[in-house]
Amino acid sequence: MYGVTQGLLFLFFIACACGIVLSASSRGKATLWTIAVFSTVCALALMAAAALVLISGQAPEMRLWTLEGFGRFTLRLDALSSIFLFICGLVYLPASLFVARYLGHRFEERYPARRFGVFHFALMGSVVLILIAHDAYSFLISWECMSILCYLLVNYEQNPDTDTRAGYIMLAMSEAGFLCIVLAFVIVGRGAADFSFAALAAQGLRLSRGAIWGAFLLGFLGFGVKAGLVPVNFWLPRCYTAAPPTFIPILAGVTLNLGFYGILRLNMDLAPAHGWGTGLIALVVGSLTALVGILYATTENDMKTMLAHSSIENAGIIVAGIGASMVFRGSGFAVPAAIALTAALYHTLNHSVYKTLLFQGSGEIEAATGTREMDRLGGLARFAPGLSVVFLVACLAISAVPPFNGFVSEWITLQSLLRSAVLASSSVKIVFALCGATLALTAALAVTCFVKAYAMSFLGIKRGDWEPHSIKVFGHSHFSSVYLAIACLLLGVLPTFVVPALNRAVEPIATASASASLVPPFFTATPTNQQLPPAFLQDFHNLGAQTGSKILPGRGLVLLVRGAEQNPVVFAMSPSYSIVALAFLLGLTWLIVRGATQARSVARNELWAGGIPRLLPEMSYTATGFSNPVRVVFQAIFRPNIVEDTRETVAVHFRTAILRRREETHLVDRLFFHPVGDAVNWFARLLAGMHHGRLNTYIAYGLVFLLLILLLFRLT
Amino acid sequence: MAVIRATDPPAERLDREALIADLQRRFHCDVAATESGTIASIRVTDLSELRPLCRSLFWDAGCGFGGIVVEERPQSWEVRYIFLARFAGWIEVLVSLPLSATTLPSISAEVHAADWHEREVEDLFGLRFEQHPRLGDFILHDQFWGEGLAPFRKRFDISKAHSNGQNNVSWRPLLVVRDPGAFAMPVGPVYEGGIGESVHFMLETVGEDVLRAIPRLFFNFRAVEKIAEGKDVGQALLLAERFAAKSSFAHSLAFCAAVERISGVNVPLRAKQLRVLLSELERLRHHAGVIAGICESTALAVSAAHAAIIEERLLRASCCFTGHRYLFGLNIPGGLRRDFTEQQCQDLLSAVRLAAKQLETLEDRLSFTSSFLDRLEEAGVVAPETARDLNLVGPVGRASGCGHDLRKECPYGLYKQYEFQVPSEKQGDGYARLRVLFQEAYQSGTLVGDLISSLDSGPIHAPCQSRQGFALGWVEAPIGATLHWLRLGESGLVERYRIITPSFNNWLGFHVAVEDFAFQDFPIILATFGLSATECDR
Amino acid sequence: MSFWFWNGLRRGIQTTRYPKSMELERGVSPGRPVATSFKSSAEAEQAAGQCPVGAIVARDSVADLELGRCVYCQRCHFGARYPLDWKYDYEWAQIFPGAQDFAVLPKPYRKSLHVIVVDAGDCGACLHEVKQLNNPLYNVHRLGIFFTPTPRAADVLLVVGPVSENMRVPLQKTYEAMPDPKRVLAVGACAISGGVFGRSAMSAGGVASILPVDLEIPGDPPPPLAILHGLLVATGRKVPAAGAQVS
Ligand code: SF4
Repeated sequence: MYGVTQGLLFLFFIACACGIVLSASSRGKATLWTIAVFSTVCALALMAAAALVLISGQAPEMRLWTLEGFGRFTLRLDALSSIFLFICGLVYLPASLFVARYLGHRFEERYPARRFGVFHFALMGSVVLILIAHDAYSFLISWECMSILCYLLVNYEQNPDTDTRAGYIMLAMSEAGFLCIVLAFVIVGRGAADFSFAALAAQGLRLSRGAIWGAFLLGFLGFGVKAGLVPVNFWLPRCYTAAPPTFIPILAGVTLNLGFYGILRLNMDLAPAHGWGTGLIALVVGSLTALVGILYATTENDMKTMLAHSSIENAGIIVAGIGASMVFRGSGFAVPAAIALTAALYHTLNHSVYKTLLFQGSGEIEAATGTREMDRLGGLARFAPGLSVVFLVACLAISAVPPFNGFVSEWITLQSLLRSAVLASSSVKIVFALCGATLALTAALAVTCFVKAYAMSFLGIKRGDWEPHSIKVFGHSHFSSVYLAIACLLLGVLPTFVVPALNRAVEPIATASASASLVPPFFTATPTNQQLPPAFLQDFHNLGAQTGSKILPGRGLVLLVRGAEQNPVVFAMSPSYSIVALAFLLGLTWLIVRGATQARSVARNELWAGGIPRLLPEMSYTATGFSNPVRVVFQAIFRPNIVEDTRETVAVHFRTAILRRREETHLVDRLFFHPVGDAVNWFARLLAGMHHGRLNTYIAYGLVFLLLILLLFRLT
Repeated sequence: MAVIRATDPPAERLDREALIADLQRRFHCDVAATESGTIASIRVTDLSELRPLCRSLFWDAGCGFGGIVVEERPQSWEVRYIFLARFAGWIEVLVSLPLSATTLPSISAEVHAADWHEREVEDLFGLRFEQHPRLGDFILHDQFWGEGLAPFRKRFDISKAHSNGQNNVSWRPLLVVRDPGAFAMPVGPVYEGGIGESVHFMLETVGEDVLRAIPRLFFNFRAVEKIAEGKDVGQALLLAERFAAKSSFAHSLAFCAAVERISGVNVPLRAKQLRVLLSELERLRHHAGVIAGICESTALAVSAAHAAIIEERLLRASCCFTGHRYLFGLNIPGGLRRDFTEQQCQDLLSAVRLAAKQLETLEDRLSFTSSFLDRLEEAGVVAPETARDLNLVGPVGRASGCGHDLRKECPYGLYKQYEFQVPSEKQGDGYARLRVLFQEAYQSGTLVGDLISSLDSGPIHAPCQSRQGFALGWVEAPIGATLHWLRLGESGLVERYRIITPSFNNWLGFHVAVEDFAFQDFPIILATFGLSATECDR
Repeated sequence: MSFWFWNGLRRGIQTTRYPKSMELERGVSPGRPVATSFKSSAEAEQAAGQCPVGAIVARDSVADLELGRCVYCQRCHFGARYPLDWKYDYEWAQIFPGAQDFAVLPKPYRKSLHVIVVDAGDCGACLHEVKQLNNPLYNVHRLGIFFTPTPRAADVLLVVGPVSENMRVPLQKTYEAMPDPKRVLAVGACAISGGVFGRSAMSAGGVASILPVDLEIPGDPPPPLAILHGLLVATGRKVPAAGAQVS
């Protein structure tokens, strides 16, 4: 096992290197083939290596060379890394195929595909290095490589009409975050034997309260930049909007996760906090991020920007789960901590899957219609039925509608927040309740948001003047999309097989196992099983649970958030059984309706529109109209500025045009960055004001400072 | 309790003679003697002076705008712009054009109320109005009809079917809201609100508030004016009475008045009195119906039920009194078709008194129902200046402090002899319109009582021989001023019949005046205007 | 605002008892002219000549009536030289002469009938009388008759007006959008025969030229109870006038 895993990792790096070399040296279609084939090999190798670790539980470790004064470079694939590595492979496989297909059809020869290939493989390598780095140096170096490669990939199309500033902003923010991360490692590593993670972890247990807080705040801020948390996420929507369609799936499905990985690694693994304070901050920030993200997503009409805001929302949910886990762990409740962490990891996995799918879909829509404006789309389902189905699956999944995967992880997240009843402090409980409510509101708005995204793009009638030109190529579902849609379904229907795998990573961090309480083995357990309370087992036996043990392998198909209470069935949920029941009920209803309405035929003809001869595109609901109620209800948050309000008339009463344009400044910009920016500007002006250019003034400054310094010396 | 402000409109009498003399001084025009003394006719000889002249009449002299009557004479076009000189009769501005002419100057930019008149003429006669800001899709919907049909020209045979056949797929509505993401919510013509008239609304919105409501009317266009041509007076009367039932008596009265004016018949006193009585009965019933509609639109079910019962009882009383629930078949040129006994009059009186009393109770209750008032107040506000610009008529105009009442300003029949008040409000919102409706209904109830107590005993009909000639008949219909312009040919057959209805006037005002309202207020605003699509469409 | 409630209670039930028993209040219906015998066929001819729309047909000495054409001009009634008999009832909905095989709606519709009304160039009177059915004095909800704004849910199409050219397409679309089984009722003289508007370039002269009509409800306008009678005939709860056979 051990050797095989290592071998797979070597295979990955070799394939990656080959990819870089071959993309650089090939041309034309060969580059695309290189990208497709070598990426597939890489992705498969990653998934296989990660799966081996998760199944066997053994973490292979490689020690690289030693650099004097810095310590050893170590690579290690432990369970936490494996989960993120697995996600990475899961996303890279379809994303790379999508890249090859997209470039093959869209840009032909003119496109700088070679450069893209080089960056693509280099980024893949650096991401994997971040995930398997087991000392601060290699971690930080590969992090920096990743940041720069991201920047290059966001801007590589060099379209004159894309916002090149977006890439700079992302790079600047990444660098600022990087500094924070370095400082956090410095704080943790002060007094450690060396900067290997093992030494840091040992040191982490001895850290003072202040050092832990310092490491948390700096690390949270630094990784929060990558994870897209408020208030350091303002780069994210701009950058996602500007990024080429070939790169965003990776941006959203892979690099976003690195932020979560960093938070988990630094703040839960290496330097875990003791009390609940740090966790509470993470919980609150996560919940707020989720709400702000979904509010802006709901009112956004550019599909890419909307998906970017929705990524922020999902990041918020994940970080809220991590925060809840930190609170539980800090308060000494290991099992709830494990459950919350499982939820967070599960959501990370889910989000990567469906967001990749959605971004691929939006890329296909843009390629096919030439627009991303949902106001101008509409009626795509007729032109592109295949794309419509996979996009619908992704929308349902991200709106947390069973039987898809988003439902499971959001359900566990909310359930784990409800477990705050065990906590002692009532003020913490109140914060949990508020965050729970915020997340519930977020979930509701997410449904609105994605109903709009699907309905306004795929249903109704075509509103824009686009011609569905490339729909033949892009409209049909392709392996890269179908694969992800199936993943959405499987992850949603079979969570009981996913949770034990995640548990491998959860157990060492949360110091307890979640699988025992989340997916109890009651199928195979006899009524006299000692692990589970007898009343609980009895209940399930009475429900007939054991009958499945003959047919179904594993732990059964019921998810459970079991409390300490007597009645254990309260929090049980089985998406697997639900889908069977759902299918059965739907079939039954269909039969009944068929039987009952035989006397009556349904008139099938055009949509009824009040008798007008033809429903025109001008007369159908737009995405703006659909989300306007949300905008009105949350006006206090959006604070739209009416920048233009014209009512043009000819001869007083012949109205010829009414135009009201509103501009919104993003909440985060308004509350954080504009004040900070203003302060910096003010200070800069002050400094500039001191530079008069006259010699006398400078001499005066010098004298004043000299006096000040003398005074200081005198005083000390 | 609602404040009753039943005052006469603050208008001083216009000196028509001085006005005309002034116009003669300033413009090149002849003042023609008219066949009927009530109309002063100004013939414009220089077409370029038409606009300034109309402007001067409407804005400087403060005349009300009546409408445009276009007539295709054997040798020429005759276009009449009818203005009301307040308390001093009518002024018509007459323009003659050779039949070969295809254009004439538009006055809509000066007198906005002429907008739809000009568009109608363009659609029906093919005469183009130069510099009109917005021509096109109007009566003959561009979705169905090609260009250049001109069905009101003499050469067009209306009795033959002219298949509109085509479904013009390139038709696009004219939308003005340019906000990103704006769209037009289509409502109708098979009205989504339940039982309603055929109107198609395009509610332009970006989601919550309606920025502008564009009505597309004329789904009920039956070309009444055209099919009346060549018919005798008796047949045409049927049309006049039956094209808009909610004020059928007013319209038949206006038609009869025109015929009587042509033939110079003196209607007997009793018939005149009964005509006033029946007009006021119709007004009372109409207003009760509009009030019921307003109550229904605010979803205040009990009050809607009460108002509906009042209306139905008045319908029944009308039926007992006249034999028809909508007063059909009563007016004939020269008087009325039938007489009524004293007992019938007393029965009617008690029914009307009861209705008036019940309306008072209803108003009292409504004025204490805050949920009702909240929805009406500030709903669909029409400022007095706007109302004047758009020449709003009837209760809607009077709720905005404008609205001429022909019963006062240009009295016909016996109105000069009876005492009544014309309510007027300034707020111009839905509630003001409701108050005006209530006040007018009370006034009508009182008038009915006065008339029944003072009925003359004489004949109800004078023989009326139709002659050649033309005349204008005017009546203050329940919704507002209505004008029927009629020309009878040599054999007494109708040569040109033009109906100018208050709904036509106020529909134009409605969509221009009402902008920017919440979607759920739309039915309420519409109900307070009490408009009739079929009366507008003809 | 409890006074609304109390006021409503105080007034008691005002709804008519029709169709359980006949409504006898005066003024619910203008009545109708009926076939009248005259002394001679010449007089009958004269009587027929009074009618501006040709609703009176002289058959020997009897002036017979095509009620579907009558526009209630009262010329054969008040002050007429040859007045026709006038009957004050309202149960006069009948099977449309051109309807081949009228069948009442199946049994389930007796207690739940959804009606859509289309104004196809109507003068407002018929439409208003249809609207009066929702008036508390008639209150057709008690009979399970509901007005619906969408044809998708409608079983009966009430058409008022002679079908103006601009309403032709909307009317057709409404009919097509209705599920089977469906019935079309022509309400009022205009919808039946074009009434005073007749057939012209702008009016189709009745619904029958566009849709298959099942029942006609004569009158200009037919009073609410006559329309109600028509709806009850459509569901088989009343028999049509003129004793025609219902299959
Ligand atoms: S009431 Fe009817 S039948 Fe009598 S004359 Fe008039 S239209 Fe003819």
